[in-house]
Amino acid sequence: MRALLNSLSKHLLHHQSWNGYWESVVQCFKPGWREGYFRAQVKHVQVFAEQSVELIIEPEKAWPVHQAGQHIALTIQTNGRLLTRVFTIASEPQLARQQRQIRLLIRSQEIGAFTSKLTNLRPGQWLNISEAKGQFVMPNTARSLIMLAGGSGITPFIAMLKSLPTYSKHTITLLYYAKPNSHWLKDELDQLKQSLSNFDYHLLERNKDGDATTWLTTNAHKHWLVCGPAALYKQAAALAKQLNTPIDSEHFSAVPAAVVTSDKHDLTLTHQGKTFTIDNQQTLLTHLQANKQPVTVGCGMGICHQCQCVKKQGIVRDIRTGELSDSSEQLIQLCISQPVSDVELSA
Amino acid sequence: MNTTKTVNYEKLAAQLDSVKADVKSKLGEQDAKYIRRVIVCQRVFEWSGRILLMLGFIQPVLWLVGVLSLATAKILDNMEIGHNVMHGQYDWMNDKYINSKSYEWDIACDGASWNRVHNYEHHTYTNIIGKDRDFGYGLLRLSNDFRWRIKNLWQFVTYLLLSVLFQWGVSYHEMAAERVFFGKKKDDRDYKVPHSELKKRFFSKGARQLVKDYLLFPMLAGPLFLWVLTGNLAANLLRNLWTSTIIFCGHFTGEVETFNQQDCENESQGQWYYRQALGSSNIKGGNLFHVMTGHLSYQIEHHLFPDLPAKRYREIAPKVQAIFKEHGIHYNTGGFFRQYFSVVKRIVRYSFP
Repeated sequence: MRALLNSLSKHLLHHQSWNGYWESVVQCFKPGWREGYFRAQVKHVQVFAEQSVELIIEPEKAWPVHQAGQHIALTIQTNGRLLTRVFTIASEPQLARQQRQIRLLIRSQEIGAFTSKLTNLRPGQWLNISEAKGQFVMPNTARSLIMLAGGSGITPFIAMLKSLPTYSKHTITLLYYAKPNSHWLKDELDQLKQSLSNFDYHLLERNKDGDATTWLTTNAHKHWLVCGPAALYKQAAALAKQLNTPIDSEHFSAVPAAVVTSDKHDLTLTHQGKTFTIDNQQTLLTHLQANKQPVTVGCGMGICHQCQCVKKQGIVRDIRTGELSDSSEQLIQLCISQPVSDVELSA
Repeated sequence: MNTTKTVNYEKLAAQLDSVKADVKSKLGEQDAKYIRRVIVCQRVFEWSGRILLMLGFIQPVLWLVGVLSLATAKILDNMEIGHNVMHGQYDWMNDKYINSKSYEWDIACDGASWNRVHNYEHHTYTNIIGKDRDFGYGLLRLSNDFRWRIKNLWQFVTYLLLSVLFQWGVSYHEMAAERVFFGKKKDDRDYKVPHSELKKRFFSKGARQLVKDYLLFPMLAGPLFLWVLTGNLAANLLRNLWTSTIIFCGHFTGEVETFNQQDCENESQGQWYYRQALGSSNIKGGNLFHVMTGHLSYQIEHHLFPDLPAKRYREIAPKVQAIFKEHGIHYNTGGFFRQYFSVVKRIVRYSFP
């Protein structure tokens, strides 16, 4: 039935999907309803001293409950614009099943503009989430576990630990690196230590305690789980290879650093699966043409929208106004977009 | 370009850029809500229209209301939603459907084809003879830039026919320019899309429109086949006449100027603005009228800022008019009948050598 309606919609109503055709109408009755997304209602927003925002939301019934460690894409509408970011769910599946609630913990500095918009959310407001994705979940292993977290990389571990039954015999050690005074959820970690018999954690700071090499090498017989910035992961992955230790990981590159400078420097551009090295001086259109990529060219001055394409990630600057784009998925015009960070374009 | 007038192009560009920047900084919630509301209205008009067409056997007036309702829906879809969304006016919303890449309209013309000819050729090279084929659509002689031919004698009839079949004219436009079926291929055209693709898109979109309005919906009505068929025909006709008339009033009033290619080489932003200003004309009217024209009644503002949400043209029009006055640029505006009469006069005038 769905397929039939979609095909009717495509051929006769010229709309990619039947539900999409009615989206604006449905929104009159169900605020925030969007085709291809799940709805969720804001329950609670709180800003913590440790530079984090806690967001508790109630997903609609149709949302398939996540596995501890998975992430979702969160979409909010702010001043008419839809913005999407990916966050790991920092609560256990049981909470979602029993109370239909999930918690997100979001670091405020890291995502800049997005956080200030999150703090404007009010309980009762609707937003959109994707289904939970990701392979970074509790491994099926008899080995003891080492959890290595860096900064906001603590979130999947919190979800995993809270999802464990109290009778769990898993021996787990959490190594939690963060900047001074910015360890999150110390109370909850304390509670977990009391309720789980074989769990222990260490709050670490790089400057004071050094890197994780010693911890990891002495625990080479265990299964490692790593979540944090790319640098942390790289080090652990290299060690794991050397010591032949099983490792699962989830790593993120922090939001691309936007260097707004007229000095020439190199960046990478990914287009239709191919990657090029480009500089920050020319427009994306010029670079793509120089690399003989198939692109549609129009007026070259930002009027006709012929060269428009979808930017998956990265920041670009509008050469007419100097305005910087958001870092997530957006439509951009190649002829007036100058790269400011590494950029990925979809086919 | 007209060189007798001395316009300070740099100042003109700076002033118009600042008008644009000012509106851009205000875009938000309000504009997003507005376009969604128009979409809701469009859906309501379309489906109530289609249902009313089938109730004509109870009371013919219902059929008439149905025709008007469906025509309104098609006009809203083509003008206030389709034209404007496909211009990229709402791309900043980041919406999956309300953007220039994915929107497709309820008209015979394939959206991508229109995008190439209209957004690129017409809006970049507005009224440059030889570059902007929208000037006269290759059918009408509207200035002395074109040599007079016998066929121009009856071009008023050609114009009426074009208006009646406007959606097919728009649909065939790119293929005519590319000489896909008839005529000598031009060497200087930059062929962007293979002709086979153009043909495929033309026939597929056109056929789907025909099937929908003249076969499928009438058949769904069963014994009321003819009621629905004639209703759809009437609604399409009304839409064609309305869109054609509004567009002619925006581009071919008596005072609209043309340009030649040499003059527009290495044009500055200010000169580009100036050309847009002289190449279009506005129609005065109430807010509802503006919505029904897709705000193309603000054709001057639309040509200066094609990707600003069209409803905003209302608030920037006085500013643009003041800037034009300062530079001594003619701001071509007038009531609907005055502008329409001016168009008719122009078509008739250039019927003769």
